[in-house]
Amino acid sequence: MRPAVVSTIVGKDLREFRADRFFLLITGLSLVFYPLIFWLLPSTVDETLRVGVVQRGLDRVVAAVSDGSDGLAVVELSDQATLEEALLSADADLVAGLVFPDDLVADAAAGAPAQVSLLITADVAPEVETALAALANEVALLALGEPPPTNLLSEPVVLGEDQVGDQVSLREQLRPLLAFFVLMTETFALATLVAAEVQTRTVTAVLVTPATRADFLAAKGVVGTAVAFTEAAVIMALIGGFATGAPILVVTLLLGAALVTGIGMVAGSFGRDFMTVLFTSILVMIPLMIPAFSALFPGTAAAWVQVLPTYGFVQTLVEVTTAGAGWADVSAELMLLAGWTLAAFIGGWVILGRRVATL
Amino acid sequence: MNVRQAGHVLAKDLRLGPRSPVFLWVLALPLVFTFLISAVFGDLFAPPARLAVVDEGASSITTALQGVEGIEVTLLDDPAAMAAAVEAHDYDAGLYLPAGTDEALASGRQGELELLVSGQSLASTRVVIGVTTLEGVRAAANARPPVEVQVTTLGEQNWTPVEDRLLPFIVMYAVVIAGLFLPASSMVEERERRTLDAVLITPVKMSEVLVGKAALGVVLAVLMGWVTLALNDAFGSQPLAMTLFLLLGGVMMAEVGLVVGSWAKDSNTLFTTVKGGALLVVAPVLFTLFPSLPQWVAQLFPTYYFLQPIYDMAVTGTVFTDHVRDLAVCIAICLALVPAVSAMGRRLEQRLAATV
Repeated sequence: MRPAVVSTIVGKDLREFRADRFFLLITGLSLVFYPLIFWLLPSTVDETLRVGVVQRGLDRVVAAVSDGSDGLAVVELSDQATLEEALLSADADLVAGLVFPDDLVADAAAGAPAQVSLLITADVAPEVETALAALANEVALLALGEPPPTNLLSEPVVLGEDQVGDQVSLREQLRPLLAFFVLMTETFALATLVAAEVQTRTVTAVLVTPATRADFLAAKGVVGTAVAFTEAAVIMALIGGFATGAPILVVTLLLGAALVTGIGMVAGSFGRDFMTVLFTSILVMIPLMIPAFSALFPGTAAAWVQVLPTYGFVQTLVEVTTAGAGWADVSAELMLLAGWTLAAFIGGWVILGRRVATL
Repeated sequence: MNVRQAGHVLAKDLRLGPRSPVFLWVLALPLVFTFLISAVFGDLFAPPARLAVVDEGASSITTALQGVEGIEVTLLDDPAAMAAAVEAHDYDAGLYLPAGTDEALASGRQGELELLVSGQSLASTRVVIGVTTLEGVRAAANARPPVEVQVTTLGEQNWTPVEDRLLPFIVMYAVVIAGLFLPASSMVEERERRTLDAVLITPVKMSEVLVGKAALGVVLAVLMGWVTLALNDAFGSQPLAMTLFLLLGGVMMAEVGLVVGSWAKDSNTLFTTVKGGALLVVAPVLFTLFPSLPQWVAQLFPTYYFLQPIYDMAVTGTVFTDHVRDLAVCIAICLALVPAVSAMGRRLEQRLAATV
């Protein structure tokens, strides 16, 4: 393998990429739309239930129920009409309202259940409605001097770093995933390039020059990795992804770019025409995208998701960009990613090499 | 134009079509999207509160919690495993109920219950789980509810779950892939393989080829639209009216597909064009998904006139007579596209003749 020959083929491929309208369109769309979607997403998480309360003589117990909780904010209002108006107004941002009768304590003490009105807006989730009805009961029981039999609400045990007030927003969650989707698109771009070379047999023309099959394969690897890495890095820069752990992210993007290049070489080897390449690439991409979707949901990914080739890539990006993880924290994921990258690259090299040899 | 000849083209495409990857897309992708949207994206936009419970004594608290809509209760065996899972945010909270909890509470003793919450759980979720659990604890302690809570819902009952708001997206995908992409890719593929030249030296005319290919797209668009609506339980009380709008949507998309397919010089150009023009097709879906956007803008896009009636009839309960204007616009668009299809067909015929 000679660097001068490889770089000549790389130059030819890059010129072809520039001349490919499809590639340029996909690239242009990615560079515009991914950052646009990112910056349009909400950057904060609203984790407080704001509840309007109309009551007289229950200040102490209402305060006792809501004090110390970041998840519940009580807004005192003078009467039911004002509460209803506030609930229907977007400015007040209330999810529900509770109207306690003036004679609540007297009625309840006399054994007659008092009527409490729970006013909700149409988009309140059922569990919130249930919880607020329970809250009304709790307020009444506290007003009657019946403390809760346990201190569940006031003293929960928090496991792990408490992120209340500092939750990861949807925008931050999507930051690593956008870089991932850009890389996935590149699988298709390289597969198209490889398939076109195979279909038009330009590869045989290249191989009658002093270039060897190894030069050709190395050039494809370099082009695919360079193009995928550059695009993903540009996207990451446009969405502020390098703010923390930039060296880890650069290594991860490089490994990810090499991974999708290997996969693209395999998909391109099987492509008979444009439609087959498109179909093969999408078939390959669907399982590879599962770790990315899985990362959007809380908790640990299922064991089978953790063995997918892209899991290490997605997980490293997520941990570094959202939790500020360091080298030691992500070493296992990086090793997994490196292993899969090596396997995909060798696979791509062997399969594409055999395909070229049959031409 | 001979309808019988167009039928031959349709029969050929039906016979050979399944060999094409596009055909597989038409059949598989709406099903995949239905699954993804109902199983994945619904939970993504409105995640349920997740509570793990280790119950060593068949407590009534567990039974009460399991009956609460919107709280997903998972029973675990090991308190240590539960704590680890809560810390990893596999659950928002964990509750350990040792044997004899109900008896202890009923006898008035202070229960030693611990609610473990994940550091990553939302504060509001903690409140919901905490208060709901406390109500179960109160009930186990035989505390009589001192109030009756009367629930009143304010404002228009027009809130629609995200899964329902995504229905036009799935229907659009089913109709567009089948109606637009199938005839378009079929035209391009026939040209690339030069089988169109072979067809045109038989008595079959270009107009018959176009009608045959459009018919396949329309049939599959309606079929996949039906399947999609059935899978999403969205037929409601207006199945015939929905079928009519699916049919018109299929015709509209097939006409656009024929125009694009006759114009594009190869698959690459076709795909680029479809991707570039996707915004025009998808735009009305965005307005359904985000109701706060100015809805009149959606009416500027042709696909609105078959997607919106289907959505309204399926989700908001409108009837056919509410959509007569949409129907008229839909028919007008379909008729307006006929000369364009005809012109592109003639142009293609001339180009083919010039290259023979």
